[in-house]
Amino acid sequence: MENKNQDPKIVAFVCNWCTYTGADLAGTSRLKYQPNVRMIKLPCTGRIDPVFIIKAFEKGADGVLVSGCHPGDCHYNAGNYHARRRWIMFHKLLDYLGIDESRLHFSWVSASEGKKFVDVVNAFTNKVKAKGPFKKYENINKEFVING
Amino acid sequence: MDDIKTVAKELLTSGKVNAVIGYIRYGNDKRTKPFIAQKPEDVDKFVINNFILNNLAVYLTRKEVSKLGKVAVIAKGCDAKAITALIQENQIKKEDIHVIGINCNGVTKDFDIDFNSENIAGKCLNCDVRTPKLCDSLVGALADIPSGEDLKLKMIRGVEAKNAEERWDYFEDEFNKCIKCYACRQACPLCYCEQCIVDKSIPRWIESSATKRGNFSWNLIRAFHLAGRCIGCNECERACPMDIPLSLLNRKMAMIAKDEFNYDAGTDMNAPTLVGSYDLKDNEDFIE
Amino acid sequence: MEEKIISKENLLKLCSDLLKNNVDIVTPGEKGYIKIKNESEISLNSKSKHTKASFKEYVFPKSEPIIYYKKNQSDVEIIEPKVEEKTTVIFGAKPCDVRSISILSKIFNWDYKDEFFNVRSRNTVLIGMMCEYADEFCFCTSVNLSPTSSDGSDVFLVPHDENTFGVKIVTEKGADLLKPYENYLSAGNSEKTKAIEASVKQPEKVFDAEKVRQWISGNFENDYWNSIGKMCLGCAQCAFVCPVCHCFDIVDEDYNYYEGRRMKNWDGCQFDMFTKHASGHNPRDDQSKRYRQRISHKFKYYPDKFEEILCTGCGRCSRGCPVTIDIKGIVTEINELAIK
Ligand code: SF4
Ligand code: SF4
Ligand code: SF4
Ligand code: SF4
Ligand code: SF4
Repeated sequence: MENKNQDPKIVAFVCNWCTYTGADLAGTSRLKYQPNVRMIKLPCTGRIDPVFIIKAFEKGADGVLVSGCHPGDCHYNAGNYHARRRWIMFHKLLDYLGIDESRLHFSWVSASEGKKFVDVVNAFTNKVKAKGPFKKYENINKEFVING
Repeated sequence: MDDIKTVAKELLTSGKVNAVIGYIRYGNDKRTKPFIAQKPEDVDKFVINNFILNNLAVYLTRKEVSKLGKVAVIAKGCDAKAITALIQENQIKKEDIHVIGINCNGVTKDFDIDFNSENIAGKCLNCDVRTPKLCDSLVGALADIPSGEDLKLKMIRGVEAKNAEERWDYFEDEFNKCIKCYACRQACPLCYCEQCIVDKSIPRWIESSATKRGNFSWNLIRAFHLAGRCIGCNECERACPMDIPLSLLNRKMAMIAKDEFNYDAGTDMNAPTLVGSYDLKDNEDFIE
Repeated sequence: MEEKIISKENLLKLCSDLLKNNVDIVTPGEKGYIKIKNESEISLNSKSKHTKASFKEYVFPKSEPIIYYKKNQSDVEIIEPKVEEKTTVIFGAKPCDVRSISILSKIFNWDYKDEFFNVRSRNTVLIGMMCEYADEFCFCTSVNLSPTSSDGSDVFLVPHDENTFGVKIVTEKGADLLKPYENYLSAGNSEKTKAIEASVKQPEKVFDAEKVRQWISGNFENDYWNSIGKMCLGCAQCAFVCPVCHCFDIVDEDYNYYEGRRMKNWDGCQFDMFTKHASGHNPRDDQSKRYRQRISHKFKYYPDKFEEILCTGCGRCSRGCPVTIDIKGIVTEINELAIK
């Protein structure tokens, strides 16, 4: 438990065409970034149902990163515009319900932005580390666990 | 102004519709219930008063009702917004229904209580659709309505003033009461999905258990699925047997839709829906 | 049946002692039955309206784990949760609520003995109280109960005046609970209790349950069901707040790949999902069929099997129904159809 602070679980939902390719570029360019991120690739940010984000918290994520193509770059033309509108509503709702805004981060990272990807991941990881484990969600996850 | 019985009777006798969905008195004079009249003489029981709480638009998407053929529905201004939203979302066609709008003088929060400034429903206090925007016939006459305090808005402001942890604790306690009866969903005219996400089991997105976790995701996702769609009839909150203040979520989402997009749900049947559309200039301050 | 008298003051003292002795007390509050921390939360009001939900949650929780599992390489380990043996006193419940436990115990002890229910109900002491509420949705007298019925209670309270209660000690269990507190009780006055009970307004008897049962048997396809089916929204609020509805669903929920729990959750026959088969076929594919099931189960199948009506006439389902589908009105109409 003690070192969890230093080792937060972060789930990243990324689009296949931009951010995932950007992360790949970071890898092939041998850029180092903090290893806390578990990446989940989707065809498009438009495919990221907000319920995925909730599921990540249910499964113990301390932070969720969402990332895709810059406006205008969407492989399917408008997927990210639709996503953006949804995120506006969704992140405000989460904030209202008491889920700290610093646990959910949105970004645009293109296929050529390997460096930006590294910066985004590192900065977000540090932010979540500073926040510590997501105690509030842990508490509701803990109800009815084995021998609990 | 024509009266409801005359209008409803004419629609049925002329064969313009096969059924009229309206309200009848039930139990005591501070209570009504929905009723579907299929014969002209049935409409004699119809009433319009300050206790017609139900949003009858909920029936328009039910298969038990749509099989009756063309129907007319009595609608207060707020209910007509739900009908507008249903048309916008292609769930019903304008030409398939006949809306009997009523000039509305407000309703109570619940049945069995007097209609006065203390008991008037919060939604009626600043209502701008006392004459429905969408209707094929209009009945009744406007009168002065009591003013009162918008307690729910006060509660929303109270929640906003808390810090994140306090907000979480507040909602955790409220959601913890949920028994997953889904009355909120069933009473909502805009919750018409044939299979609700909470009923999907492969994969299971929202736990069906009424546990803290299952309740949190259910109440959160329900509110989100109604973002920019909820027209504020407050039937969900009235239906909830556990008295969970669901309007605190729905209204907050409506306020966000208004602030961010200047969007009001259920006002224009030809407008694209809020989350079905986008604008190149949508705010992205929060995106890195 | 032994009878005593207790002052309000002593009654509250008794509750305070019980709380000190680690007994849980559940009592009707403003927003439903509540587990109290302090005896001052007890209202003892025989004229109060029914709470929206019944107290069944305390014997049959809305959600509970029935097993935990852990998988390893070749095996699955099953861990059985234990229900805590802790005395719970249901205090000041109406006769229509109190009666629910004995009705429920029939189904929970039919072929399979449900330990989760049995442990809880064995540890529950029911202190009922005479009811002076009765609104247009009440019909206890039509299902063989009454506002003064002590049937199902372990101890039954009859308010003599604002500060005095007649105490009927109905069962052994009730006597055992009160034994340590004998000094709070004084000699009974059953004459007065009888006089008060006789003066209570009884809801009018509106149907003959036997006639209703027979009509249901012969009218599975009657068009009457359609008239309700088209109004009902299928929300199952009625089943969830009902003191005797007992359907549940069983689902497995994992924590991770290796561990998880099997949950038992309330369910209701008004949901279309309730009878939906894996094939997609749904034998109750219309709300009228689902509502027919609700009435048939309560007034025919359960009486056929257990000689109990699966309804205590509390009227909760009707009061809370978003579209005021009134079970009393419906069964009364069926009764009229049966007479015709
Ligand atoms: S919100 Fe407006 S239209 Fe709706 S019931 Fe109130 S006054 Fe009538
Ligand atoms: S969410 Fe509630 S207030 Fe909004 S439309 Fe549905 S029932 Fe009405
Ligand atoms: S109506 Fe209330 S108790 Fe029922 S599912 Fe909705 S929020 Fe939960
Ligand atoms: S509470 Fe009313 S609307 Fe809901 S399922 Fe029961 S009868 Fe139908
Ligand atoms: S069916 Fe309705 S009236 Fe009968 S016990 Fe259940 S809630 Fe009460």
